[in-house]
This record gives sequence, C-alpha cells and structure tokens, in this order.
Amino acid sequence: MRYHVSRFLMFVSACLAVPAIVSAQSIHLPRHEKVVMKNGMTVLLMEKHGVPMVSFSAILKSGATADPVGQEGLASITAGLLRKGTKTRTAQQFAADLDFIGGYFGADAGEESTSVSAEFLTKDLARGLDLYADAFQHPTFPQGEVDKLIAQAIDSAKGAKDAPDQVLAPYYNGYLFGAVSYGRPTGGDELSLKHIHREDVTKFYETYYAPGNIILAVAGEFNTAEMNKKLEEVFGTWTAKAIPAVAVAPASPVEGRRLLLVDKPDATQTYFAIGNIGTTANDPDRVAIRVVNTIFGGRFTSMLNEALRVESGLTYGVNSSFEPHKTPGAFGIYSFTKNATTVQAVDMALAILQKLHKDGVTPEQLASAKSYLKGQFPPSIETSSQLARRIAQNEFYGLDDSEVNQLEARIDAVTPELARHVIQKRFPLDSLVFVMIGKAAEIKPEVQKYAEKQDARAITEPGYWPHVTEKK
Amino acid sequence: MKVLVQTDHSIPNVTLYVFYRIGSRNEHPGTTGLSHFFEHMMFNGAKKYGPGELDKVMEANGGSNNAYTERDVTVYQDWFPRSAMPLIFDIEADRIRDLNFDPEKIKSERGVVASERRLRVDNDNAGTLDEQLWATAFVAHTYQWPVVGWMSDIEHWSMEDLKHHFEMGYSPGNATMVVAGDVTAEEIFQLCEKYIEPIPAHTPPPAVTTLEPEQLGERRLIVRKQSQLPLILIGYHIPSSNNPDFYSLNVLRTVLFHGESSRMYQRLVDKDQLALEVQSFAPQAFDPSLEEMYVQPKQGVDPAACEKALYEELERAKSSGITDLELEKAKNIRLVEFYNQMRTINGRANTIGTYEVFFGDYNKLFDAAKNYAAVTKEDVQGVAKKYFGPNNRTVATLIPETEEGAKP
Repeated sequence: MRYHVSRFLMFVSACLAVPAIVSAQSIHLPRHEKVVMKNGMTVLLMEKHGVPMVSFSAILKSGATADPVGQEGLASITAGLLRKGTKTRTAQQFAADLDFIGGYFGADAGEESTSVSAEFLTKDLARGLDLYADAFQHPTFPQGEVDKLIAQAIDSAKGAKDAPDQVLAPYYNGYLFGAVSYGRPTGGDELSLKHIHREDVTKFYETYYAPGNIILAVAGEFNTAEMNKKLEEVFGTWTAKAIPAVAVAPASPVEGRRLLLVDKPDATQTYFAIGNIGTTANDPDRVAIRVVNTIFGGRFTSMLNEALRVESGLTYGVNSSFEPHKTPGAFGIYSFTKNATTVQAVDMALAILQKLHKDGVTPEQLASAKSYLKGQFPPSIETSSQLARRIAQNEFYGLDDSEVNQLEARIDAVTPELARHVIQKRFPLDSLVFVMIGKAAEIKPEVQKYAEKQDARAITEPGYWPHVTEKK
Repeated sequence: MKVLVQTDHSIPNVTLYVFYRIGSRNEHPGTTGLSHFFEHMMFNGAKKYGPGELDKVMEANGGSNNAYTERDVTVYQDWFPRSAMPLIFDIEADRIRDLNFDPEKIKSERGVVASERRLRVDNDNAGTLDEQLWATAFVAHTYQWPVVGWMSDIEHWSMEDLKHHFEMGYSPGNATMVVAGDVTAEEIFQLCEKYIEPIPAHTPPPAVTTLEPEQLGERRLIVRKQSQLPLILIGYHIPSSNNPDFYSLNVLRTVLFHGESSRMYQRLVDKDQLALEVQSFAPQAFDPSLEEMYVQPKQGVDPAACEKALYEELERAKSSGITDLELEKAKNIRLVEFYNQMRTINGRANTIGTYEVFFGDYNKLFDAAKNYAAVTKEDVQGVAKKYFGPNNRTVATLIPETEEGAKP
C-alpha cells in the first residue's frame, strides 16, 4: 500500500552475485581480516567507522537445495523459526528484546544457502550479539510456533498468487529447471509446506547448522581485536560436526521450445518470462556477461527497454538478468503487457534477442555500459551491511577482494570480441522456455505459436510445477 | 529555487534530488494523474537533449535516474559519479527551461502509464483497495483521486493540459534541490548560478484551499474481486505532517505496529492468529491526510474478526495509554531509523529534502530527536483518543470471488 508512483520499477532482479565493476577512482574494499575458529567457523571482520552501527551477515552453506523432495520450504521454515523461541527466550521475549534496542534480525533461505543477519547500534552491541547468537545457536522450535509459521506460510503462498509479478519467478524456475537444482520453490508451496513437521525442522537444524558450515561477516563501528574476542566467547564453544554434502546436479540448457501458460482469468495484463539456463556465479566471463546484459536488458536504456517501453509504450518495464549460483542458474527476460499486446511484446523481445546475436554490441554501447557500471558501483558498497554481505558472498563463492579492487581493469578489458563470445555462449537464441501468467481465454490461441511443447495450469492450482514425486 | 548541499567524500558519488511542490493534489477531475504523466514526460526530450537522449547521455556518463510522484510532490532523482557533475546540471536546466512535448512521445508514454496502472492498481489487490479507500474517505479535498489517475483520464488528457501543468508547477521557485555526496557547497552553488539561475520564474500553482470537512460517521466499502485471500484497509483522518501531533502519532504507530513485539502483531498475528500481516502507514502530507492500516487476514478468517481485534487494541491504547517501556522502545526505534536514513548519500538527500519541503525547514531534521524525546505517554494517549474514533474512519474490505461468483 506504500504507493508512490514512480517512473520505473527498481527491479530487484539478481545480477551476477559479485558484479565485477569499479569506479574510475578505484574503489577498494576497506581492510578486513579473516579468522577460522577451531570449530571451523569462518569469521570476517571489517571496521568501518562513521555510523555507530554493527552489521552481522552470516551465510549458512545449506539452503533450499537441501530440502527433502516433497518438503520444499523446510530450509526457509527452519530459518524463520530461529527467533521463535530459544533456550532462554520465548518468541515474544525475543521480539521484545530485539525491538527495544531498535535492532534488526533476519533469516531466510535462498536456493543454495541460508542468510542470517542482524544489525544494532554499537552502543547496544552486547545485547544485540547475545540475541543474534541465541537465535543462531539455541533455537528450541516450540510446537505452537512451528504450527503458526507453517500455517502462515501456506496462506502467504496462496496470497502471493493474487499478484502475478510476485509468482512469475517460482513458476519460471519450476518450469525451467524441473526437479533439477533450482526448480523447487525456496519458500515451498501450498502442498509441500503441509508435509513439514517439527521433527523435520529439528533434524534440518541439527544436520546443517554447525560452525564449519558458516561464514560470518561483521562490519561497522567496532574494534577488531575486541570483536574477535567477543565472537570467540560466543561462537567458539559451538561444537564442530561433519556436514553431509548436498549434491546439486548442474542443470543443462533446455533443448527446443516449451511454453507454460498459467491461467488467471481476471488478469488484464500478461506477465511473461523467457529464457533458458544461464551461468554460475564464478563464471570466468562474469564481467563480460554483466557488461553485455547491461546493454541487453540491465538498465533503462537497454535494448529491451528502448524497444518495449521507450519506443512502443507496450510496457512499464522489461529487464533481463542472470541468477548467480554455484551451478548454472536461470537467465530470463521479464516483462508484462496488456492482454491484447501480448504477442506484439513477446515477438519484440525475441527480435531483440536475435538482434543481439546477429549484430552484437556497438563500440558506443560497450563504452556506455562500462561507464554506467563503474559509475553506479560505489553506492553498492556504501554501508556496513552492504559490505558485510559482500565479503561473506565472496567467501561463499570462492572469490577474493579482487572482485572489487581489480574490477576497473577487468571491466576495461571487455573487448567487442569477448562480448561476442559471451553472447554466443551464454545468451540463448533458438532453444527457449516461456512462462506466461495471464487470461488464457484471451491469449492462448495466439501464444501457441511459440512452442511445440505446451503446458497449462490454473493459478488456483496449488504449487507451481509438479516435483518429481508427484509425477505419475 | 532553494539549494541545499551536504558534503561527504566517502564515495566518489553524488545524489541529486529536485522536489517540485506539485502533485495529484493540484489536479482536478478530467486531468487526474497528470502530475505523474508529466513526470514521465520530463524524460522525453527538451531542447538540447531530445527524446531518449537524456537517459542515453546520463547512463553513458555513469549516471542513473528515477522520479516519483505523490499527492503533494513530484521528485526527480539522479545518482551519478562526481565526474558527471556539470553534465547533470546541463540536463536538469534543459528540461526545466525548455521541455518539449512531442505528440508521438505522448502517445507511447500513455501506454507506459496505463501499463503501470494495471501493474500497481488493477492487477494488485492492495492497489485496488487503496484507491477506493481514499476515494471514499475524501469527498471534498483533492486527495480523493489516485496519483496514477483514473484510466479514462490517462486516456484523454490533452497537450494543452500538459503545457498548462508545466507552466503551473515547474517554476524554479516552486522547487527545492538537494545535493549530497562528493561535492562542495561552493562548486554546487557556482553550477546553479550558471545553469539554473538564468531560468525565468513564473507563477506558482494556485493554493489548494479546500479543506476536507470533518467526517461525521463511519464509511464502509466493499470491493469484490477474484482473489485468494480477503484484505482490509482502514483509514483514519489525521492532520498534515507539520502538525505538532506528528511526533506523538509516530510514537503511537510504532507501539501499535512496529515489529513482532508491537501490540497489533502480538494480538492479531501471534495470539489470535487472525492475520498474516498488520501494518500502518501515514504519508507525508501538506494537508490533512490518512493514517492507513492494512490487515491481511488468514485464509478462512472472517475480516470482521480482524476488525474487532484491531478496534479493541485501539480502545486499549485510548483507555489505558502505553507503558514507559513502550515509550522508550519507540524512541530507540526512531533513533535507529534516523541513522538508517542518514547512512547513505541517497538517504541524506531524501531526508534533508523531505524535512525542508514537508516541515518547512531542513533544520527541523536536527530537532527530530528532541521532538521525540519530548513526547510523553499522555501525548500518545491523547492522539489515540483524538483521531482513532469510529466516526473518523473508513473501512475498505476486499471480498474474494471465484469466476462463478462470491465464495461461500
């Protein structure tokens, strides 16, 4: 309901995890230290003075891919329950203690990891750290809280379908990946959530929440030696244990064309995603891919937005992005347009994709995108929470400080030849997956032309796309 | 034009905001949504930078931009590396002075705005309900229509309407510029003298004199729509942002709605398990506005049960007030919020501009902590009693329908 009506959506689309860009004035990561505790927990410490706050950003190296089949959402529910009762606090006490100091605590599972983060004023550090460590290490998962959260999650999964833009991604991922790697919904769906019980949550916690499976980054106003000592006191006693490996089979690009039409009979606008399997977070060509995607669909003057919005007025917004993961994630073009112009908009997006392959990018486009990425980079590492998140992610993906410190050179090194190379290699052309949410009665006859293999379902049907166990 | 500068060399970047004191509040039936449409046109070509060139030149120089329109203001934002600085001023001056109205661009931009309306309102339950709530809560004042405009107005306003709007709202004197980041005040003032000062002033928009008469009884409305879950929005008339009650109202909202320890979350989400989510929000406003409460009921819960619980909590705040602990908590939360707003150059430009425009003086930013410290339990109980009575509220409920009709 907080509408202000703005010129364009700030797409919260994922970019390559660690965008390899640097300002012309050589942005550097502030100095930071890495400590590996005896129990295996990796700690990264970065002092950043000026604002009296401390940010904690932990990555637990297990996420939705560790969910048992049929219990999608387990990692997410487990994370959500961390604050809902500990050995020394009820959920209500935790909330009261946290809110009293104006603190922030957040925990949620992504595809391949779980993020547990917090932020406090430096003056409240002792109380804040106590809360953070309490939720992380001592959750008790009271039955009543488990039931409540799961019931809420089921309703939220239903309610999300009232806003097609919110559910385009899980439909697209489900249809694109199927049961492989990132196809299952990270938050679960109306069906899978019903199959999660307290013992599943405790088992997930006991299995994966262990110091050797955690990267903890702390940034902000503090003294490194003192912080290191405090963290050792709080987390150093956490017992080490072996973590079972979760095998994630890398997805292969889909061959040919497939289309899923999700019927929402009251829709006045069709929401669509088009793409295929993309690439990994540590792709050696990640900088070049980022530059080319900026030109193609990653900014206001991108080829896609120029065509679908600026020149034709077909949509309020269109973008393209690569999802960064350890194994190849999704690449997609995302937009929406009124029912009657669905085919016109989709045809146009496909024509732009063909143009990218046929003509490549011009020297002017290349220079502009480089300048844009460099100029927009510094505000992305401005705050302690942004910095903590970034160094934790670098560590998770096996990347180093050169992701930031060397980027100017890397971005300048992207040549037209390299751009052409990544277009051929990473941007799909003929083999494509289409997902459309819209009014089937109006658009179905026309959109059938896009693919020989077609699937359809109603938006009211629970779930997004059948997981392997539900198939006949 | 008043220009405010805040220097910070921690990153080599600059944020520039221009706040124009014009919004949907200054419109009339037939041209609703014009301020917002006009905001889009501000990117569609002027004399020096033609259609599409503004964005191309800005992005090629490392900058990006956006803009938003509210009931009271239209705000333009530029984020750019220091190196792009003279250029940004050239661009801003060009469009303030010599905006061009290309009929072809107007045509395509109408399509963009219609798509935006479908996204935010027509295909969004909260958007649909919110629009109806304001249209019902206000019968006299211009806050009654949506910022994005009614669809029929989006389709029909004319070139003359647009030109008139520019004449009316875009005099430099009707705007405030805020610059934060890797700059000095001296260089910004020099750039303003060169690029902005020569732009002639014109007459500012006529005053909006209509005042919403006191509401004399509860208003209720229903929206029936295909949807998975029902939804409730409740609006209470509250005063404009520069009213002294502003701070007490913020404290009350914090106690009732902020975080999982808040009274409404504890009651509706946690204890009674009636709702998935409860929130409350009041926009910054020149004129008396609405405190808007949002309740997302759980599946199978009668919206009336959510309403009842919410009213009981309001009554409790009115009859027994809040505790010392709650007051202290609310003040701590406000302090953290302050640091959060002020920790980036973007947050600072936005906050400084907001205080200047809505509170009349950016210096009030520095008094905020003092003003919150002065709030007493009695003040909070006082505003609860003053504004949150049944006669002063409008209740909007979305009732789900299937394709066949109403759900049982």
